[in-house]
Amino acid sequence: MNVIEVNNLSKKYKDILAVDDITFSVEKGSIFGMIGPNGAGKTTTIECTIGIKKRDQGMISVLGFDPLEKSIDLYKKIGVQLQETSYQDKIKVHEICSLFMSMYSEPLDYVPLLERFNLSNKNKSFLSNLSGGQRQKIAIILALIANPEIIFLDELTSGLDPKARREMWTYIKELKNEGRTIFMTTHYMEEAEFLCDTICIIDEGKLIATGDLQSVINKADIDTIITFNTKEDIVTAIKNNITGISKLEITENKISIYSKNADLISELILFLEKNGISYNNVNIIRPTLEDAYLKMTGKSWKE
Amino acid sequence: MNSFIKVIFIEWKLNNRNFLNVFFALFFPVMMLMLFGTMYGNEPIAQFGGFGSIDVSIPGYICIIIAVTGLMTLPLTLSQYRERKILKRFMVTPIKPIDLLSSQLIVNTVTTIIGMIILLIVAKIIFEITFIGNFLKTTIAFIIVLLSMFSIGLFIAGISKTMKAATVISYIIYFPMLFLSGATIPLEFMPRSIINLSKIFPLTYGVELLKGVWLGGNLLDYMNDILILSSIIIIFISLSIKFFKWE
Ligand SMILES: Nc1ncnc2c1ncn2[C@@H]1O[C@H](COP(=O)(O)OP(=O)(O)OP(=O)(O)O)[C@@H](O)[C@H]1O
Ligand SMILES: [Mg+2]
Repeated sequence: MNVIEVNNLSKKYKDILAVDDITFSVEKGSIFGMIGPNGAGKTTTIECTIGIKKRDQGMISVLGFDPLEKSIDLYKKIGVQLQETSYQDKIKVHEICSLFMSMYSEPLDYVPLLERFNLSNKNKSFLSNLSGGQRQKIAIILALIANPEIIFLDELTSGLDPKARREMWTYIKELKNEGRTIFMTTHYMEEAEFLCDTICIIDEGKLIATGDLQSVINKADIDTIITFNTKEDIVTAIKNNITGISKLEITENKISIYSKNADLISELILFLEKNGISYNNVNIIRPTLEDAYLKMTGKSWKE
Repeated sequence: MNSFIKVIFIEWKLNNRNFLNVFFALFFPVMMLMLFGTMYGNEPIAQFGGFGSIDVSIPGYICIIIAVTGLMTLPLTLSQYRERKILKRFMVTPIKPIDLLSSQLIVNTVTTIIGMIILLIVAKIIFEITFIGNFLKTTIAFIIVLLSMFSIGLFIAGISKTMKAATVISYIIYFPMLFLSGATIPLEFMPRSIINLSKIFPLTYGVELLKGVWLGGNLLDYMNDILILSSIIIIFISLSIKFFKWE
């Protein structure tokens, strides 16, 4: 079942077409991750989806509501962390939390939430005195107070150190295990790889690829590279016996084979063994999400 | 707790944690009272129709409090809330940014009233001021002045893109009014040119109205001021509704 359906969404700011005819859907209980360069239109897409920006074209349904019409009913059921927000001057953690609790009829209590995110000792601190990572935790706590069915996280982990980021990953996984749906954006490829069930790449307002990790990588159509060392001269033999090689490189006694066919490795090993060729140091470099991302969004990065 | 009450309660606490807000609304007017009171005393003076200097100055000081909360605190806070995307964050909750705006109106009204009460208590104890006006009429005049200043403040908050811009606009409007509307220095003491100039400041009409009613006048005697202030309220509220940018 899809909890978010976005069809042919377009959004213009004066002369910039920030989002250009984007269509996607998010399945209930999944983690949907949007990646794309700065200015690609991620924030605009999120903000149109939750109804704080008016779309110019397209249909949006979130939990069955059109965010521009039944917004209050919708806002009772979603939690949001916006890319940029700060809080009132001199407000304390427990004050902002209890303020958010008062907005919902069946909120989650913030005290256990603070505990869960290891912030209990900051209950009485001014928000302005928290570290960046702690403030991001507050942002996610405020989103959770709604006891939301869907959580929108716009670059939650930007600016966090690697340890804090991985800590956030655990929390996000936990939220998924609680049955919540997550719509997130990130600039960290390993984060998208680790967390997202569905990845969506957008660039200059256009949707470039969407699907699970493997299908997005496949779409980029990048060679897998197999390297191994051998003292024997087998280049011609390999060329004649193994198909699907796009490029072959030899440096001293190291051979690198480029191919779109990721299963080439088994063919290769079989060939080497059958012909009694001695080899070692086999290495296989599969394309990562980062490679796919750079290829599909980069203007200068071309094979 | 009802969320709107909670918002008011928290905004009230935050307002009181801001030194400048508290200083200008609660202490600055009292300091002015002490300064001018010590200089002139409160003996009855024929030029003031038998009232003392302080008796006639109090309504002006009250107008200053209204101008501070309405033209400074209100627009600066709201424009900051917009610039820092706080209003935007409230858009995606079941309560609306307008609740935050309304709570600011309430908080600043309460601050104004408290500032006025402190001022009156000090003035009563130290300078033994007398109040011969009618309480209801004075309250009506007070509300009209308050609404006129707050509607201008809302407009400033609504149109200024940044808090910096709001600060500049507020200062440009507030400081000349402080000295040239008769609020601090009675216009009776001013040269003709300043009196003419004072007519462009909305607060001038506010001071005239509140002072008149405070000293026992009738609302009807100040119909001119009431009409001007009411037009200001209607114009600026409409402009605010039309132009207020939430983000
Ligand atoms: N309020 C606005 N007015 C005018 N242009 C805007 C506005 N907001 C965004 N844009 C433009 O729209 C485009 C998309 O911006 P958006 O914020 O959606 O990108 P993003 O993918 O979230 O980028 P980032 O990764 O840097 O957060 C950009 O070119 C940006 O300059
Ligand atoms: Mg963004």
